[in-house]
Amino acid sequence: MIKEILKNLTGRKRVIPFPEGFNISPEEAAKVISLQENIGRVFGKSLRIRQVDAGSCNACEWECTALTNPVYDIQRFGIDFVASPRHADLLLVTGPVSRQMELALKKTYIATPEPRLVVACGDCSIDGGVYKGSYAVANGVANVIPVDCYISGCPPSPLRIIEGLIALLKKLTS
Amino acid sequence: MEKVLKRLINKKQNLNEVYIEVRKKDFKDACIYLYQNGEAILRVMFATDERQIDSTFKIYAVFSVPGKDEFFIIYISLAEDDLSFPSITNNIPAAHWYEREIHDMFGLVPEGHPDLRRLIFHDSFPPDSYPLRKDWSVKESDLREWGEGMIIKQPYTFMEVEGEGITEIPVGPVHAGIIEPGHFRFSTVGETIFFLEPKLFYTHKGTEKHFETLGFFEGVRLAERISGTSSFSYSAAYCMAVEKMAGIVLTEKAKAVRTLLLELERLYNHIGDIGNICAGTGLAVGYAKGAVIKEQLMQLNETLTGSRYLRGINTIGGVTKDIFLTKEHILNVLNTVTKEFKSFMKLLLGTVSHMERVENTGRLSRDIALRLGVTGVAARASGINDDIRKAHPHLLYDRLYFEPHTTSRGDVFARMMVRAEETECSISMIETLFENSYGGALIADKKDIPPLSSALGYTETPRGSVFYWVKSDANGKTLRVKFRSPSYCNWPAVPFAVHGNIVPDFPLCNKSFNLSYSGCDM
Repeated sequence: MIKEILKNLTGRKRVIPFPEGFNISPEEAAKVISLQENIGRVFGKSLRIRQVDAGSCNACEWECTALTNPVYDIQRFGIDFVASPRHADLLLVTGPVSRQMELALKKTYIATPEPRLVVACGDCSIDGGVYKGSYAVANGVANVIPVDCYISGCPPSPLRIIEGLIALLKKLTS
Repeated sequence: MEKVLKRLINKKQNLNEVYIEVRKKDFKDACIYLYQNGEAILRVMFATDERQIDSTFKIYAVFSVPGKDEFFIIYISLAEDDLSFPSITNNIPAAHWYEREIHDMFGLVPEGHPDLRRLIFHDSFPPDSYPLRKDWSVKESDLREWGEGMIIKQPYTFMEVEGEGITEIPVGPVHAGIIEPGHFRFSTVGETIFFLEPKLFYTHKGTEKHFETLGFFEGVRLAERISGTSSFSYSAAYCMAVEKMAGIVLTEKAKAVRTLLLELERLYNHIGDIGNICAGTGLAVGYAKGAVIKEQLMQLNETLTGSRYLRGINTIGGVTKDIFLTKEHILNVLNTVTKEFKSFMKLLLGTVSHMERVENTGRLSRDIALRLGVTGVAARASGINDDIRKAHPHLLYDRLYFEPHTTSRGDVFARMMVRAEETECSISMIETLFENSYGGALIADKKDIPPLSSALGYTETPRGSVFYWVKSDANGKTLRVKFRSPSYCNWPAVPFAVHGNIVPDFPLCNKSFNLSYSGCDM
């Protein structure tokens, strides 16, 4: 433990968008920099996300968790996942919205202070995906609450989610 | 049993599945005999609506006896005018949830069941409505009201704890972290959890009914999306069931690719889970380290298959991609992972603040685990020597030498260490797989599904055993797909494990089990 801390203190620090050794191209990494500028302008340097699972298979959640790991480290752009909708600017909803989660999702939406954004993340949050037509799902987030942006993919990789957020922020600034 | 066996109506064998039809009154005796004398484990129990075939509902109970690669499937037929069957829960507690589920989904009544509250459907689902019956239909307005959840149609009562100083803490369904939804009601004395009642099934998506509309071949896509982090094992078990039913024999190559990817899936899950346990103990360095190793493995998955969750590889009859072509790359990544994992474990075991939190926390006794039919890492950490890869060898597991890792401690530390040992075991299994070469095409010849046939598919996911049972109707179409996720067996054990622990330790206990809500909720 102490060794780890010492290594962090004495090690040479370099500011690069993504650590070396991971297969992410420099172009993709460069895209992320515009995200930081947009967040600075639109949200006063901080975008707070509340993630709501509305019946997803858990793959989308793991990709959101991966966003906070040292590889993607989304916090360095001023984005963070918060514990309560009351602290959030943006709701990131995953899953086709199972009927038994509909009410909880609506309540979470109402609890989020305005102005609020809603992002539907993952194929099944768009139209139900592979679950489309099942009796127990509402076939997409838009059938329950208004949606500002969709991110496709099953599940969308962490980079896709970042790209989706960039696109949303571009839409807001233009 | 001898007496019961003499009275059995019908017995037939299909590979390692022995189907035994008994009379309704003998059902309980036959199950109890297997359970008590044969020490059999109840793997899965379910009902089917076979009224279009012989005007009956059927109840199946699948047992497997340790040390034998055989499944004993005891079943009874229920005539349409007599919709009840004898409950076995009082003797075999593992049947508790299965019988409640059958009651919810089919409206068949397990007579003598101690707790017949609704399991799957919440308060606003219409009463007397049974989705898995073939003639089920529901009004659009009923579905809408179900979603709105405002009209209580059949109230659910939580178990209440009475006494001085008892406080109730309701949590969920939307939690603080990035996790799946579920409601927990704690009854606490001060900070100590006295009783916990989970109310799950918020993510119920009607998956089993949806399988019936998709057909066997399309079903693979759905099977991959039942529980995100176990996509490959779920679809492998599903394919195995359908292949067994159709009589398709996999080529060596397809078997090897599936075995390899099952182990790769176990690797990224186990390492990610150990990292998550660190999040529970507040060891940020450990959490970050675990997440980085996991990310490396996920990116390996992406280069191998195009999907970080190994989706799109399994298909009925084989696999779509030959992973063995990228041998060098896989071995290179595994080398780095092995090194980093060793230093990761050294860090964890040498950190006092971490060890103090995990030792003696969330203890699950062997006796309770055995009775509830707990499976996977949780079972092995409580001293139950049960691993489907060993008990019922499939794919190439009969050629790989390994022993299930067990320990009798039953606490969070035990579950962490079982995962660590299995991680090392998986790495060496992958290396062994690469020592040989495997011939044959990727996909075996397609065959039609024979009518009125059924088969069992299974494998060991990172969380425990998953089972599929499929049956075709008179035209070879899907009559029923039943799946049982490992989380479905393990959820009832969590309240026992957290009893007597403090509330702040609940997330840690929960993370050490790492159960899937989506897989459990179906």
